[in-house]
Amino acid sequence: MDRRRVTVVAAAVGVVAGATGLGVLAMPAGAGPAPVLPDVSAEALVESVLNAKPAAFGGSVAVNNDLGIPALAGVPQLSDGASTVRMWSDGTGKVRVQLPGGDSERTFVDDGQTAWLWDSAAQTVVKKPHGSFEEHQPGLGDQQAAPTDPVTVSRQVVAAIQQYSDVTVDGTARVANRPAYELVLTPKPTEKTVLREVRIAVDSELRVPLRMAVLTNGTDAPAVQVGFSELNVGPQDASLFAFAPPAGAKVTEPDVEEPTADDKAAAEKALTEAKPQVIGEGWDVVVAARTPQEALADLAERQEQRAERGPQRGEGGDVDVAGLLKQLGKPVSGTWGSGTLITTRVGGVLVADDGRVVAGAVPEQVLLDAIGQVK
Amino acid sequence: MTALVAARAPLGRQLRSELRWILRRPRTVIGLASLCLVPILAGVGLWFATDGDGPAGPGLAAIIAGNGLVLPVFTLFLALPLLLPLVGAIWAADGLAGEAQHGTLRGLLLSPVGRIRLLAIKSFGVAIMSLVAVTLIAVVGVITGVVLFGGEGMLTLSGSTLSFGEGLGRIALTIALVTVQVWGVAAIAMAISACTEHPLVVMAATMAGVIVFAVLGLFSALDWLHPYLITSAWEGMIDVMRDPLPTEQLWRGTVVAGCYVLIGLSLAAMRLATKDN
Repeated sequence: MDRRRVTVVAAAVGVVAGATGLGVLAMPAGAGPAPVLPDVSAEALVESVLNAKPAAFGGSVAVNNDLGIPALAGVPQLSDGASTVRMWSDGTGKVRVQLPGGDSERTFVDDGQTAWLWDSAAQTVVKKPHGSFEEHQPGLGDQQAAPTDPVTVSRQVVAAIQQYSDVTVDGTARVANRPAYELVLTPKPTEKTVLREVRIAVDSELRVPLRMAVLTNGTDAPAVQVGFSELNVGPQDASLFAFAPPAGAKVTEPDVEEPTADDKAAAEKALTEAKPQVIGEGWDVVVAARTPQEALADLAERQEQRAERGPQRGEGGDVDVAGLLKQLGKPVSGTWGSGTLITTRVGGVLVADDGRVVAGAVPEQVLLDAIGQVK
Repeated sequence: MTALVAARAPLGRQLRSELRWILRRPRTVIGLASLCLVPILAGVGLWFATDGDGPAGPGLAAIIAGNGLVLPVFTLFLALPLLLPLVGAIWAADGLAGEAQHGTLRGLLLSPVGRIRLLAIKSFGVAIMSLVAVTLIAVVGVITGVVLFGGEGMLTLSGSTLSFGEGLGRIALTIALVTVQVWGVAAIAMAISACTEHPLVVMAATMAGVIVFAVLGLFSALDWLHPYLITSAWEGMIDVMRDPLPTEQLWRGTVVAGCYVLIGLSLAAMRLATKDN
């Protein structure tokens, strides 16, 4: 009798232990106690970030997206929800980035001479010369490229930021098991932006950003949070930065298909007629442009013709731009005309029916005011 | 009491006799033989699919052309949502409810074998048979895959190619991971099996549970529930085909299945201990 009771009690403990185990697993990983770090001023922290040397590392980046934008097929990292990016860098320009998605994966490898982009779902490899995938970064990048004293440049950047924002160091945090400073950029009260603050966790040793969170007015949860969930600093396995296209994959070199002079002229015409202009300053900046309907249609037509000429029809051959906009946004109108307004938690885009476009991290009313100023 | 302990049969002999008991049943042999058909059918189907232009299908099927070592992994993930839970439930249903239906469980409960030991022997039988079933599918899958698609190495979802040996290592890892998941389902089936004397009830209840869990996993409104569902852990198992191997989701899934094993066997022990002859 006694033994039976012991068995029942032991079994009950087993059930409770199992259920507790599931509960512990379901809980989000705790960040642990905040590390104790020497005090640093916000200005010095920003300067050290701007002057940080690239280091060799490997790790996983967790992306938590709550922007309120529709899902993009095949790229979960840009859609709402949680996803992961795995990345490795050797600090000298060789890079490997993997985007796992559902039951497929995209891998980007730049081995120093050639850049490869692999897509497991389509079994294709895109091959390009080194560096051609990198986008030209305007603004900050140009200033750094100029042969001036980096300290002076970073002072200027800090001053520019402080003109519109309060920059503070808000304690410390532990990100990917590394101690970090929490740098907080808060818009000055006079700014009309929908953003409440931008929090950047800066590694205390390497002075590189480990996590960035964008918080909007009225909510506690970040609209976007991108941060390392795992980070190993130090030399990485050299084989990670090599890529050989698999036997069965179709390798394409898009550079072979150079755009013709006609195409270039058409694109330039569209761009000059668009006249991008900037309205407002600081956090309230609204980028405005005018897309001439005829130029857009002309460009789309050329693309379509090219796709028909080629062996394969391009996917973006005939895009129903107007229909897509109607699906994403809501119709608005005013003294300036009528158009479609697409709002997300971090700002909005207003596309007028006559081709005027304004976009910014600002409330609806600021966008409506701005579109009237577009020439 | 001491005399009784001394009279106990050695554990090894009891485990061997349980395995012999399961393997001697004709339905076991027929069941295992039909499981071998799964990778063959999947392989032939994919072989026809790769004839055309473009990838053979979504996910793992896309990289199967010229890449035979992917077939066992593909087949195991194909069988994991329904077929393998059914297999685990069949062994578990036979173990306790089947014996109860034939009236042989009464003899076992009366015999000088502790009830916990009885459950341990029965669970061992279920565990080994689940491992045998999963391994059999994988082995037939490797042979079918190499014959139909050829295989000098294993192309991962990440686009890198592993050597033949490393590929076999990944297949062995998949076998281990999938077997633990089947154990998680089978342990719950053991708990149900201890409560009834109708094997069909065990199988129906287990399969209904698996299907309901899978449906619950589809609703994003129930996000908070998903970490508790064993079926939700199965989606992350595809990480085994990525390179370098990300281990976080694989560990998490294995620990979730471990919790299910603990809960299932504890419930079964509780029921067996209080069961009247």
